[in-house]
Amino acid sequence: MQWVVATAAFFASAVEFVEAFTIVLVVGVTVNWRSALLGALAAAATLALLVATLGTALVQWVPLDVLRTVIGTLLLLFGLKWLKNAIMRYAGLKARHDEQAIYEEKRAELRAREAVDVSSSRFDLFGFLLSYKSVLLEGLEVAFIVITFGLSAATSAVSRSSGIASAALGALAAGLLVILVGALVRVPLANVPENTLKFIVGIMLTTFGTFWLGEGFGVEWPLSDVFLLVLAAIYLGAAFSLIVWLKRVKKQQRAQATIENQSTPTTVQKQEVNP
Amino acid sequence: MKIIKAIYNFIVGDMVILIGIALTVLVLALINNVGALGPLRGLSGPVLIVGVLTSLVATLSREAFSPDR
Repeated sequence: MQWVVATAAFFASAVEFVEAFTIVLVVGVTVNWRSALLGALAAAATLALLVATLGTALVQWVPLDVLRTVIGTLLLLFGLKWLKNAIMRYAGLKARHDEQAIYEEKRAELRAREAVDVSSSRFDLFGFLLSYKSVLLEGLEVAFIVITFGLSAATSAVSRSSGIASAALGALAAGLLVILVGALVRVPLANVPENTLKFIVGIMLTTFGTFWLGEGFGVEWPLSDVFLLVLAAIYLGAAFSLIVWLKRVKKQQRAQATIENQSTPTTVQKQEVNP
Repeated sequence: MKIIKAIYNFIVGDMVILIGIALTVLVLALINNVGALGPLRGLSGPVLIVGVLTSLVATLSREAFSPDR
């Protein structure tokens, strides 16, 4: 069992599962549970098929160095996107992802359609498709993380299948935890610190992406695998500095906007007095 | 075209990050494959880290100083 890979996959997948769970919950509550669960199950089956075929093909046919370079690049792109969004949310430049707001918005959308009898267990195509689409899209990100982390973790001592299995177990644990907690509380998981999770995952993906891309280009990192911690520390330090800087920039922009707003009415008043 | 856009949005969705990482990979490829740049091979790791950090700073600066904000 590769614990680092499993943990990384767990955190990354938990965020996606919370997002998918919110939509399935709103379909279940607003349309009916039959359509919501059938949509979620159909999406899970599609994802399993994708991972099985794509994962197996990659495991069998592509050389390890090529995989490390391609996957390192993809992880960097993916990780920087998450890190950028998390930094912007911390700095107040972007609204925090609010599951409660998404829940209410989707609920209003569904209610705006023709009245649906919630107590009926009749299959509803719209509810099914909405549930299917959300689970498939969020699940694709989970599948991507599982395959890339699993494959990149492979070394001479650890087989690629073992890496994928560890990452898949991490994702499965996250999925089960989200479903269990969600089933118990039956409300959108708004208290999950989603931005913190995305920030941690962004740092992890960027760290692993840098490490593996470097290895793909023949870089021999000092201290070997321990250098992952050094990379994580570098990116953490940079991220915190960027948050502080962006907060200052935002404060300055606000102050400037306030001054401009205060000066505008004075000009109008003068114009009114002296037509 | 729609499929390409969907894949782009799914993987990165940010042109500055994409260009930054592509340039970094290009520089690393040149360092590793052009004989004249052989002496720089020892600097591949630092070049990669600086490339990643520069891409992050560039995309955040773009967002912070965007006229739409």
